[in-house]
Parts: sequence; C-alpha cells; structure tokens
Amino acid sequence: MMGALSFAAPWLLVALAALPALYWLLRVTPPTPRRQSFPPARFLRDLPAVEETPARTPWWLLLLRLVAAALIVLGLARPIWNAQQGEAGEAPLLVVVDDGWASASDWPDRMAAAGAALDAASRAGRRVALLPTSPAATGEAPHPTGWMPAEEARARLAALRPHPWAPDRAAALAALRSWRNGAFASLYVTDGLAHGGDDGSALMAALAEAGSLQVARGAPGAARVLAPPRAEADRLVLALRRAPGGPAGEAGVLAMTPDGRTLGRAVLPLAAGATEAEGALELPVEIRNSVTQMVLEGDAQTPLPGAAGTVLLDERFRRRPVGLLAAQEEAADAPLTGALYYLDRALSPTAEIRRGTLDQLLSRRLAVLVLADRPLAEGAETEAVTRFVEGGGLLLRFAGPRLAERGDSLLPVPLRAGERALGSALSWERPQTLAPFPEGSPFAGLTPPAEVTVSTQVLAEPIPRLAERSWARLADGTPLVTFENRGQGRIVLFHVTANADWSDLPLSGLYIDMLRRVVALSSGVVGNEGEAPLAPIETLDGFGRLGAPPPAAGPIPAARLDATVPAPRNPPGWYGTAGEGGERRALNLSAHLPELRPAASTPSGARETRIGGVPAERDLGPWLLAAALLLLAADLLLSLQSRGLGLRARAAAVALALLLPGFAAAQGPGSTPSPDGAPALATRLAYVVTGDRQADEVSRQGLVGLSEYVNRRTAAGLAEPVALRPGQDDLSFYPLLLWVVLPDAAEPGAEAVAALNTFMRNGGIILFDTRNEGSGEGVSLGADAALRRLTRNLQVPPLAPLPEDHVLKRAFYLLPDLPGRYAGGPVWVARDTDRANDSVSPVIIGGHDWASAWAVDARGNNPYAVMPGGTRQRTLAYRFGVNLVIYALTGNYKGDQVHVPAILERLGN
Amino acid sequence: MAERVAAGAPLSLRAELAAARLPPLVVAAERVAATVMQGVHGRRRSGQGDAFWQFRPYLPGDDAGRVDWRQSAKSDRLYLRETEWESAQTVALWRDSSAGMDWSGDRTRPTKRERADLLLLALSALLLRGGERVRLLGGGRGLSGRGALPELALRLEAQSGPPADETLPRHARMVLFGDFLAPLPALRERLAPLAASGARGTLVALHDPAEETLPYGGRVRFEPLDGTEPALVPRVEGIRALYEERMAAHRAGLAALAASLGFRLLSHGTDHPPEVALMALWQALAPAGTR
Repeated sequence: MMGALSFAAPWLLVALAALPALYWLLRVTPPTPRRQSFPPARFLRDLPAVEETPARTPWWLLLLRLVAAALIVLGLARPIWNAQQGEAGEAPLLVVVDDGWASASDWPDRMAAAGAALDAASRAGRRVALLPTSPAATGEAPHPTGWMPAEEARARLAALRPHPWAPDRAAALAALRSWRNGAFASLYVTDGLAHGGDDGSALMAALAEAGSLQVARGAPGAARVLAPPRAEADRLVLALRRAPGGPAGEAGVLAMTPDGRTLGRAVLPLAAGATEAEGALELPVEIRNSVTQMVLEGDAQTPLPGAAGTVLLDERFRRRPVGLLAAQEEAADAPLTGALYYLDRALSPTAEIRRGTLDQLLSRRLAVLVLADRPLAEGAETEAVTRFVEGGGLLLRFAGPRLAERGDSLLPVPLRAGERALGSALSWERPQTLAPFPEGSPFAGLTPPAEVTVSTQVLAEPIPRLAERSWARLADGTPLVTFENRGQGRIVLFHVTANADWSDLPLSGLYIDMLRRVVALSSGVVGNEGEAPLAPIETLDGFGRLGAPPPAAGPIPAARLDATVPAPRNPPGWYGTAGEGGERRALNLSAHLPELRPAASTPSGARETRIGGVPAERDLGPWLLAAALLLLAADLLLSLQSRGLGLRARAAAVALALLLPGFAAAQGPGSTPSPDGAPALATRLAYVVTGDRQADEVSRQGLVGLSEYVNRRTAAGLAEPVALRPGQDDLSFYPLLLWVVLPDAAEPGAEAVAALNTFMRNGGIILFDTRNEGSGEGVSLGADAALRRLTRNLQVPPLAPLPEDHVLKRAFYLLPDLPGRYAGGPVWVARDTDRANDSVSPVIIGGHDWASAWAVDARGNNPYAVMPGGTRQRTLAYRFGVNLVIYALTGNYKGDQVHVPAILERLGN
Repeated sequence: MAERVAAGAPLSLRAELAAARLPPLVVAAERVAATVMQGVHGRRRSGQGDAFWQFRPYLPGDDAGRVDWRQSAKSDRLYLRETEWESAQTVALWRDSSAGMDWSGDRTRPTKRERADLLLLALSALLLRGGERVRLLGGGRGLSGRGALPELALRLEAQSGPPADETLPRHARMVLFGDFLAPLPALRERLAPLAASGARGTLVALHDPAEETLPYGGRVRFEPLDGTEPALVPRVEGIRALYEERMAAHRAGLAALAASLGFRLLSHGTDHPPEVALMALWQALAPAGTR
C-alpha cells in the first residue's frame, strides 16, 4: 500500500462522465460584448448598423474550464497518497500514550504515530478512546476518555503535551481495569523506559488481554538526562545519563543566562551503548555567576531533550553575597585611601557586594561578612555576629589601628595590644616580605610577589598550634592570615589593613586571588529556611521551557526541597519568595531520576512497530480543489478582461485578496497620512487665538502678508499661517508664535502654561505684541497689565531692552530700529547672559502692532496705515518681520559673523 | 524624460522637473491696475519697492526722516530718495475635473487629468519662479513665492466645478485645461461669461490618441464615464471613418468658438511629452521681448 494512490470516495469519479456535456454547454454560449469606457462615446451613438462579428468561445478558455471541472471532481473523491494500513478489525481502538518526561525527546514522532492510527480509524469508522499514562497537570490520576469519533479524539490528542514528571503506569492500569468495557484493540505508544520499578509489563499484558495490541517504540537510547553539575574551583563538572542501546555520538551542553544568551558550550562524548558520559565546562567565575541554566542540545537522536535535559542553577552555584562594613562608613569609599576601596574593587566582579549597617547586613542571608578594622561592641552586636558565624557564615576581618587598640572575642587568635611597626624611622627592622604559602592553606599554589611588603601588622599572642591556624605568614614567621572554625562557620583575620596603609598587599594582584579564595570557601547561602514554604515562581514544562507555574503547583517547605520528587503538585522549576532580593531555589527533575532501565519487551501476540520514519499520508483532495479554485479565478479574470471592464490591475488585486486572506487587511488605512501629521509637512507661522475676532483676523492677515514677503525675498518657504490654542493644539511644529495681547486677555489655563513653557524650552519663540508703544501710546490701555497677567506663570527669562548689536537687528537686513504700525517704543528680549538655547531669546516683547503693518487683505492691499507713516516705515516693518523669521529659523547663526574679522586675521597670518 | 525618471515622485516635484528646462516666465504685464501686488515688474513710478527710482526735491510736508542726507550734501537743496513701485501679474488657472478626464486609452499613458495637473503645476512653477502670482479659478487667494507650489497642488486636488469665479479681477490672464468634449453650445455657455469679464486666456485641449483613432475592434459597448447612455457598436471597424469625421467637426467647432471668444486654443495629445505643451504655453504667455 506504500507510495500508492487511493480514493476515499471513489464513486464520485462517475461525475467525470459529465464533462462532455459541460463541453457542449460551454461551446454554444455566445460571448458577451466587450465593455470599453470611452469619454467621447457621445460621438458613437446613432451610427448606422453594420454586420455582427461571429461569436465563439476560444478553445483555450474551454480547456481551462474543463480542467477546472475535472479537478473539482477528482478533489471531491478524496485521493490519498500513502494511505496507512489501519489496525485490522472493527473493534474500537484505545490509544495509550506515555506522556512523561522521557517522551519529550521525540514527541512529534509519537504524535505522528498516534495520529496515523487515528486517521486509519477515522476512515474505517471506528470509535477511539485515549489513555495518557501520566498524572495530568491538575494532579488528576490518569484515566481513559470515553469512546468518541476519531476526529474528536484527534483534537484531544493534539492537546496532549509531555509532562515534566514520570508516568504512573500502575495508576493507568488501575483506571483501565475499572473502565474496561467489552473487547477493543489498542495501540501503546511507549517511551521504552521503566519508571520507579514499573517496567510496563502489567499494563501491556492487560491491553493484550482485551484484544489485539500494537506497541510503538522510539529509537533506543533517545531519552537523555543531564544531572545537576558539580561546582569546582573554576569549572562545572557535568554528567549525562541515557537509556541503554544508543549509538555512539556526542552531546552538547549549553550554559545559558536568564535572558537566553549562551555563555559556554561543553561537548560530552558518548560511546556506543554507553549509558553515562562526563565532561567539564570551564568558565571564569565572573561569567559562571551569570549562568542560570544548563541545557542539553538537541541532536539527531534526541531532537528535544526536554525537562530532563534542563538543569537550573540556583544560588549554590552562583555568586555569594558579601557584606562589607567599615568603622567609618562615610570615608570608606575614598579612592585609594578608603577602608573598603580595594575590597570593593577586588570582590565586585565575582561576588554580590552589599553595604549597610550591621543590622541591615545580617537581616538578609549573607555568605561572607567582611569587617575592615571594625571592632564589635559587647552585647547585641557580638551576639548577632556570633550567631551568624555559628550558623555557617564566614567572618573575614582586617586589622587596623582600632582593632590593635582593643580586640574582641570574635578573633581567630588572641592579639597583642598595639601594632608592630616594621621599618619605620625609629626601627632597625626592614619591611617584611611574604613567606611561601604553606601546604593545606587555601592560598597554596599562589606565588607571593617579591615586591609585596608589610610595614605594620598586629601580632598574635603565642599560643599552641598557632602555626596550624595560619594560612599565610611573613618571611620572619609571624602570621599574616589566621583562621578559626567556630560552629559551622569560620573566622578569618588578615593581620594588616584592607587598604594600603600597612602593607603593599592590596596593591597587588595577589590580594584579589586571596580574597576570592577566601570567599569561595564560604558555604553559600543555603539551607537555613527551615519549614518556610517556597512558592513556585517559574516552572519547566515537558519540553524544558520555563513558564508560569500550572494551577496545581504548590509551595514546598524549604528544608524538604532537596528531597522533593517532581510531580504535578511540585513541577521542576524555580521556587522561592517573590520580589526583589528574595532567594530562589531550583527543583531539578534530573536530580531525582534513578538509573535508566529499559521497559519490558512486547508480550507475545502483540505487534511491535517503530515510531518515526513512517511517511506521513497525504490527502491530495484539498490541493486539487485549491488548484481548481485558482483556475476558476484565472477564468474570472480572463472573462472580466474580455468584457473590457478596464479593471485589470484592480481585479487582479481583488482576486489576490480573496485568495490570500490577510492581504486586504494589510492594505488597510495607514497609507493615507493622518491629519495630525499635516502641520509637520511645511514650515508655518502661527498666532495665538485671543478670542477677539477682529484682532485674530488682523493677526492672520499680518502673518499671511509676512509669509508672502519672506517667500519672495528669502530662501525660506512658509506655508499658510495657522491659528493655535495653546494647551489644545500641538505647538511643537511651529518656530514662531505671534501673541497679540488684548487689555481683557484672560490668564491661560494650566495646560496652556505647560504647553507654552515646553514650547519655549525647546527653542520656540513667542512675540508678544501689546500694541501700545511709541507712536501708538495710549491706544490699547491696560495691555501692559494684561501682559503681566498672561506671563505670570510662564518661565520668562530675565529681560533687557534690545541691544544695538542684537542678532534680531542683523539676521537678514541691517535695521536701525524695529517699527511696526507704530514706531519708537522699546523692544525687550532675554538678557544675553542666559546661555540656554544658545542665547536665542524665547520671548520678544514689544508694542509696535507689527501684525497690522504686515497685514494684506484679499485684494493684496495693506488695509492699515502706518504711523507716523511713509512707505519707508512699512518696508522696515516687513524687514523686521523677515529678520524675526530668520532669527526663529536659524537662531544665532548670523551672530557668529562677529568672529569673521578674527578668522580672516588668522587666515592672513 | 524627466517625467519618466521621477514617475514615483509627488506631482509637484514632477512638475518642477518638467518646468526646469524653461527660463522663468514673466507674463507681459498689461493693464494690471486692478490686480497689482508687489513683485518684479517695475511700475515706472515711485512706490514701495527695493530698486532706486529717483531723487526728488524736498517739499514742505515731507517727513524729515526721509531726507537722503548723502545726496543732499552734494548741493544746496534737500533731496528725498524714492524707490520704484513693484507689482506682479496674477494668472488664474483651471483644470476640468469631470469624470471623462480620468481616462487613458492605454495603461502606459497618463490619464488626461494627470497630464492636465502636471501641465498646470509646471506652468505654475514657471510663473512663480518669474515672481508672478498664481491662483485657481474659484480657489481663493493668489499665491506667490517658491513655497506656494505644494499649497497649489493641495488646492488643485480639491478643485472641482466649472470655470467660474466672482472674485476674479477684471482683465486677469487665465489658462484653462480640459478635453472640451462637451457639446459646443454648452461650452459656449460656460466660457462666454469669462470672456465677457475681459479676461484673456488660453484653452489647452487635451486628448488621448485613442480618442482620435478609435483603436478597437469587434463587438463593443462604449460607456462614457459621466454616467450617460452607453453606445453599443456591433462592429467597430466599420464605423471608424465616420467617428473620425465627427471628431474633426467637433475640433473645428471648438477652434471657431475659441477664436470668437478671444481665447487662444492649444491642442495636446497625452502621447506627446509634456514639455511640448509647456513650451507652447510659455510662448503664448511670455511677452515678445523675452522669448
């Protein structure tokens, strides 16, 4: 049956016999007249009639239509390529699927195998039930569905996903026993592994007993498990296990960050048939600290490693929080001299540094507490630190003048009072170098550089076994670093200061290595939570992807996290307390998987098949129907064209839109520019609407006249001016705002003030015109008060009368003064000392009624006479307008010309 | 060429390209008393402008601030400096926006309306570069300056309706673009009021080559775009000669109509490059001295 063509509804092929009739029908129908749009059709009416052209449908159009009809008939007959031989018999079919973690590796193949069985059952009209063997994500025990049509079961099958826990075949068997009704055939898609001592033999036996059984297995050795790595000094040791029977090859492991970047890749070689592989991933500590996940790469044998191939690395593998505390916090960070300056720089690349008071530091869990020459007070302080040390913390202390003065109980060795100075002015001794580090010291292997010398130190009282407690000594044998284990923790003392006051040690690279080794000794921050519940934060699904926890997931007591086996209530993933600074703990599936053993072999009498590699069956019907539709669409276009609708391009677009849904949506609005964008397309002047219709009309006419004058005289291209209401309209498109101040002007609202302030801050210029200065004095009484009212809340900079050399007087024309309709009054601009916006004044205040001088009516005349008068004054008014526009558009660009003499002089030299 | 190069560019840009080959067009400014505006035409009299016109002796009543001291210092009398009054001509433009204009006989050719828009804007670009003012019939205020072209293109898109404008100054110059396929009495009715107002102008009759040659065959139903009655022709080949005869008669009637109303008639086929028509327009509008 392989590679063959079969029809699901062969009786429909009879309809092919009707094709000749269709041919005859198409042949006799005459074509419709071409339609042609033609503007001078008027001249074609009432023409004398001539003979008709013979009507004939062209042969190629006939052929096209016949092929389309034949394709429709063939497509409806449901031809199937590679139809599968279904399970024989008429009995209903039970499909049992292992959907535990081990099925994830080749899940698509498993679905294809089960789906093929459903297709065959569908064609045979058999009813189907499904039985997944793992507990559902809701925690429900596995149970079979009722009998249903195969199409319905297909949807149920498609909804199945592998779970990140083991299947429970015993529960599935129990459910099957209580459910079984009548005889049925069954297909068991098994993962081929024994889980928890149950190798599946009981389940298979029960299925074989009920009827014919087919067992589908994947390739041996497909399931792989990546065990949690072991952290060593500068590498992670990886271990991989797999089911027996796999071929030789290799497995890649990626170290990934929370945001999905890959920081490293290790390759683990796999021998043929081997079930274990080891390898190491070497990463510098700085980089290792940002790794949160180790992920097994998919390859040919294991396309999807799934949850068992994903290991989450929590704080135990990660950076250790280090608390730093100095005696004087305020001076502690002073560069090169501060008590914590060198510590902070040495540790921050590899450790998480925390600062604060002692109480604050100890209130959160801490791996290392560093005290730089800070004595501990008797009582509460000493008790708290003692509790920290005995609970497993590492206390790292540095000596110094204060500690030399007065020791306390939390020191590894008793100290002599006072420090010992080596090589001072009053001493014969030379500064001491470091002796080689003794065996057994954590510093063993490091080489002390010869140039590191110690000039001052604190001395330990000679006590028995002082040598055993010393990790480092000076060349004369006095201890430099001592330690003592106390409770579960440890106290370490450097007999010198943490800065370079007493020794050169903090200046050398050795200091960094020593500190890192000490910090690496700390136990990390694990295991002190007791019974506090840790809620699931993010959990893995069966494919090893992190996501929101399923509804059934519940919290785990912290102390029992390591012993918890993943299950629907406790899926693998991140657990912890939510929020900033909360610790996160990882629950890994692979930490709890026993050795992988193969499942029982197929019972006698059952068929065994291999999943994967089965050519999928292909239903050709839809493709044939689609081809027929395309042909009919082409036919539609051709006939439209032959009728001369003149819509060739548009009809093609419509047909495409019908054939490709979504195309039409992509063609939607959006190509037309929104009206809001229109002001940005051209430069425009603008005026503020005062509410007085006549004043607004004067402003508009004035700006129209000015725009025309500017367009004619300069390279600036100004479009029609607009009216604006600050606070309602967007001001950001306009360089210049004309604001005529009327005596009865109202104070602007809060939004208007905010909009105007933003406008001025971003380089906009407002021209306030009170229309009452110079020769116009007394015309507009009260405008000055109105101006004060308007600008009360505006951020107007300090003002000064317009200086003689201001750019406004020379931006385009050289102007002696700035007349408008009136002349002779002062004009105010921002004082030049204000360097914001390159000294361009955001406001220009005057009272010359410039708008009236610029105004041009519909007939092109100037409707308002200027005072005292003369064409010269109007010309100057226009010239001021040009200067103003150029000033608004180019700022102080023209002002730079004051440097021209200096530049010329320099060029001349 | 320019049209092909910038086929995807906005209309106003293509118009600028088409106009780039001709010198700025300065319309002969005749009888412009009613439409004066500042511009490049010296008015041969004193007024508002930039160019020096004359020194005039000071008369009692003149503003002392206007005395030109440099000139006055050369003699014993006081002189005032006067500049030459400048004004510009307004040219009114109109384009037929009826449905029949939106048609092209072949996809490789622009529609008549596209070509009319292009010619109108190219002419406007020439006029604006020459410092003239341009307005659309029924389209509001006249425009000037380089920045006016996009604004004009926007107004042109919105323009519709017959060529009529109450606010048009007498003796304005005008250029009308259209296919002028309407019956002759209707055309006369529309154009006569414009001619009566004293306006002088040019008609540019655009036609598609297909409207001349009727290049169709077989059984065809011809549908005019303005929604009037379609004409079913059983066999187009048979009536082609008759159609050409009728079309020629219409053209002759149109030429006679334009001549009687004082309009100059230019004919332009959309298969010809726009520069040809633009050159003809330029020659029609430019004064004899600047050709």
